[in-house]
Amino acid sequence: MYKRRTPFFVSADTLEETATTPCILERGKGMAVWDLSVTVEDLGPEAPPITVSVTSDLHIGGVILKLVEKSQMKKDWSDHALWWEQKQQWLLRTAWTLEKCGIHADARLTFMPQHKPLRLGLPNGLTLRLRACFSGSVFRTVLGICKMLNIRRPEELSLLRPVEEKKKKKDKDSSEEVYDLTDVPLSSVSQPCLYNGMPAHFADSPKTEKVYKMLSVSQPAPAPEVIAKLYRPASVVDKAHIHSRLDSSRSLMQQGVQENDRLWLRFKYYCFHDLEPKYDAVRLTQLYEQARWAILLEDIDCTEEEMMLFGALQYHINKLSLSEPQKMNSSPAMDDLDSALQCLEVKLDGGETSPQDMLAGLTAPELNDYLKLFRPKRLTLKGYKQYWFKFKDDSISYYKSKEESLGEPIQQINLKGCEVAPDVNVAGQKFCVKLLIPAPEGMNEVYLRCDNEEQYARWMAACRLASKGTSLADSSFQSEVQSIRSFLAMQQTNPNTNNSQADDNINTHSLVSPRYSKKYKAKQLAPKILDAYQNVAQISLTDALLRFLQIWQSLPDFGLSFVVVRFKGSRKDEVLGIAPNRLIRIDLGVGDVVKTWRYNNMRQWNVNWDIRQVAIEFDGNVNIAFCCVTADCKIVHEFIGGYIFMSTRNREQSETLNEELFHKLTGGHEAL
Amino acid sequence: MDSLIKKTAKMDDIDAMFSDLLGEMDMLTQSLGPEMTSNSKRENHFSIGFTDFNESLNELEDQDLDALMADLGSDSAESEGRQQTAVTNYVQTQQQASSQSSAPPHVQAPISLSKMSSLTCSSTSLPPEPPKPLLPGEAEAKSKADKIKLALEKLKEAKVKKLVVKVMLSDGSSKTLMVDERQTVRDVLENLVEKTHCDSSCVDWSLCETNPELQTEREFEDHEYLVEPLSAWTRDSENKVIFLLKPEKYLIFKEPQIFYLWKKDKRFLSEIKDSQKELLLKENFERPSVIVPDLEGQLYLREDGKKTWKRRYFLLRASGIYYVPKGKTKTSRDLACFIQFDKVNIYTTSDYKQKYKAPTDFCFILKHPQIQKESQYIRFLCCDDEHTLSLWVHSIRVAKYGATMYKNYQAAVRRASTFSSTLHLTSRPAPGPTPTTPSTVQRAAGKANGHVPQVCDDVLEQPPDFIPPPPPVCNFGI
Repeated sequence: MYKRRTPFFVSADTLEETATTPCILERGKGMAVWDLSVTVEDLGPEAPPITVSVTSDLHIGGVILKLVEKSQMKKDWSDHALWWEQKQQWLLRTAWTLEKCGIHADARLTFMPQHKPLRLGLPNGLTLRLRACFSGSVFRTVLGICKMLNIRRPEELSLLRPVEEKKKKKDKDSSEEVYDLTDVPLSSVSQPCLYNGMPAHFADSPKTEKVYKMLSVSQPAPAPEVIAKLYRPASVVDKAHIHSRLDSSRSLMQQGVQENDRLWLRFKYYCFHDLEPKYDAVRLTQLYEQARWAILLEDIDCTEEEMMLFGALQYHINKLSLSEPQKMNSSPAMDDLDSALQCLEVKLDGGETSPQDMLAGLTAPELNDYLKLFRPKRLTLKGYKQYWFKFKDDSISYYKSKEESLGEPIQQINLKGCEVAPDVNVAGQKFCVKLLIPAPEGMNEVYLRCDNEEQYARWMAACRLASKGTSLADSSFQSEVQSIRSFLAMQQTNPNTNNSQADDNINTHSLVSPRYSKKYKAKQLAPKILDAYQNVAQISLTDALLRFLQIWQSLPDFGLSFVVVRFKGSRKDEVLGIAPNRLIRIDLGVGDVVKTWRYNNMRQWNVNWDIRQVAIEFDGNVNIAFCCVTADCKIVHEFIGGYIFMSTRNREQSETLNEELFHKLTGGHEAL
Repeated sequence: MDSLIKKTAKMDDIDAMFSDLLGEMDMLTQSLGPEMTSNSKRENHFSIGFTDFNESLNELEDQDLDALMADLGSDSAESEGRQQTAVTNYVQTQQQASSQSSAPPHVQAPISLSKMSSLTCSSTSLPPEPPKPLLPGEAEAKSKADKIKLALEKLKEAKVKKLVVKVMLSDGSSKTLMVDERQTVRDVLENLVEKTHCDSSCVDWSLCETNPELQTEREFEDHEYLVEPLSAWTRDSENKVIFLLKPEKYLIFKEPQIFYLWKKDKRFLSEIKDSQKELLLKENFERPSVIVPDLEGQLYLREDGKKTWKRRYFLLRASGIYYVPKGKTKTSRDLACFIQFDKVNIYTTSDYKQKYKAPTDFCFILKHPQIQKESQYIRFLCCDDEHTLSLWVHSIRVAKYGATMYKNYQAAVRRASTFSSTLHLTSRPAPGPTPTTPSTVQRAAGKANGHVPQVCDDVLEQPPDFIPPPPPVCNFGI
């Protein structure tokens, strides 16, 4: 297919013998003309390469000019460049001559655009199709992608090859929806000006606006079956395989990525600098999604209690994302006086009412009902006994009957600081509120039995609020009642008898990892999540996202990226964990941390690229060396250098990214 | 001052109505008195607090009472300086006087709001933030707004719960103070440091609560409202509040390596440099989420009912204390939750070897603050040695209070350094890291309160975490 010719360098004396074109004479430098064939991608895959006549001192720009002329195509060629296939490199320096580049007639060159469409999987599971740079370093490509998606601090992210592709080829996931952003003109991306709360290039059409919404609002919970189907690492070694990261100092083309290939965009370095919800709508959402999936897919371990809290937060975030899309920046809290005055105004708006009425309006509303009371502490076998209950402010009073409720109550129970737990069996129509009321002698156990769900939801909500010191008058009361109702609905044994609130019905199994899905039935899981939910029910969407990230970040295994290594002098494989501030050595057999080294004690680190060994020297004459088994040592080298770079960032150099330093620290031998 | 002048110049109807209103408040306050006391007695069934003023005052000795009176006098003098309207001063002294004589400590403020109507009507048209150069009309409007604000504050004031607290000092003497529910432990500590003329450049001053019945002690955290824990005391309580130096109070911030690098050997820890300590603080406290020391190890647990102590392997996580169930490993998913910290506080103990037959005297307990006597709801844990005890106690505090505790420390350091600079005590350089608080941390901490010491916002020049080692040298092995 390619015409391969050895170039012939002609000296002045051999001129006569060779019957070459007059152009040599024009140049008059004694340079021979030879043919260079170049495949032009835009002509289609079937088209033969275009052959241009060149001399060795022709610069790359000149070659391109000739190509364009000869192709006779009228189009914008400004993004195009030459790719040298054998050498796997781009010829981007247009001023260099062919000779300087070392190109001879046997070079297989392709003329193609530097920006090509790429299918990009985001942390939230969406796939975007967008134009990415295939010619610059992956680091640069990520910068471009992040600029387009409006993600600040792009140095924390990187691209990697999807894992599950090899795992399950059989599944026909061609049905996957792809959101096309290839039409977004790249030139408009340069200035990140906001229009209508989103970057201007997203505000162009309703279609892209929709995409931006999906980027910046967390996605609804996936079905539990979907979670169960996805790949989950079963051991530390499995986790070590995941890091099929791309090399950030080489280009996509150089790493064999083709047009329309699928890549994942993920946060790579687990130190999230200067996270500011006001500007970071997309970043915060995607970070949350990555954290959520890490937890759902058991990529990071947590305890049952932590899992339930994560579940509760997901439930809360789902609910808020559905109800208030795009309200990331809450309005500034009203001034004390203003709000107080407004409150007064409302009260006074009622016209001419007597002071007594207004007083009544100002005091908290009450709950009054016949409920059944049970105190297990008293060793009587009486069981539940009915009383007239009154809930006011933060305490419960009970009376023998409704008629006596004007007099002295039998007892008044203050609920502040008490523990409230459900004791519910929906199928058995048992709706009890279990109260543990602190007293000097210990905790008093009290059960309140309600007749039906509705009554239970109200009393439970009131008890929960009172235990936190909030009264019934608080606006949160209704939402608390609502959430208790929806959790009750989740405990219904037969889901077919649903009431109308369909969207409120989230499957609790999609909030926890498959381990807990298997362990608990829905009606066992719902109260556990509800229990955790009561501590987070009142927080805003942004705070819920931040809380989720906080708890994630405080997990002991947070921020660890694993790689299987062989330490120098050791005969077995071990796992090296790379954290934002340290390296840890993990014994594969036991899974225990054997040793920890902190970066701040690091003197220097070296990579021997030939034997693929990383050697690190720490303070106090501590030297370690290891070879990487499951990843290229460049990946490990880049991780360490990357984290050291991350730690040099501080507040002052806020927006400018010291790319040079990053490259120095992560580049490896390309950097030199 | 201008409001004073205004006031005398023209006693407009607002002022008239205002004093009217306040008068009415007092009336109501007084008339409600007896009723409320009976009410609070009923409440006592569950929380018999130190809430009854008559009683707590009666318990005081004469000299204490004198001191208290002096205290009150100075307080009102202060307030006069602070709030320059004559009205305020009047109300404040009134309020205090009435609370001394008969009124119960906390009084709901029923007030006839119809009187307020004209106030609100006249002021709703105000601009929310008055510009700096005030026009005459605006100045008037502003003073009206101020007064309404004041009235609203008074409404709140009437509800404020106050306690008279006798604080034991380390030399055996005592001080008696009046503490209202809006005062934090830090406020009270500063008050005490000033009154006792002790070394104010020290951050270790603490207020501790002792419970002789349980033989426990707990240092209050600086951000707590002092009235709250004291309200849990029973009527016949022998609990005491002690003011003393606790060198371990902020040890975890002064020597973070002891807690965060506890696995390393002691010699290594003693050689650690200040820059490394700062880095540890930064890594663990100045990021969006506070990192809790990864403590784990064998502790003795007092079994319910059996009164024996059993060894178990415990782990501390941000979400609580866990233990490794029999036959399981210590991976996260296998751990069983022992306790979470939302509803309990941690107390250190004394002489439990004798009292509860503990293996050592280095025990701590976790309990709901309301519980004052021995109960099955108290968790008893025992450590092998004093060092381990200290690790657990202070790490649990970090797990429970998180960033708030660090902010307390920073506030204490700042306060101590301003004290020392105003007193020209140059001997002690201001310790501690730069007081930067990432916005996300502040957001998460929430609960803003006017009485909490302000965290100052100045962002100082921050050096990088550490000087990175030079980029690697290439070794091309032939």
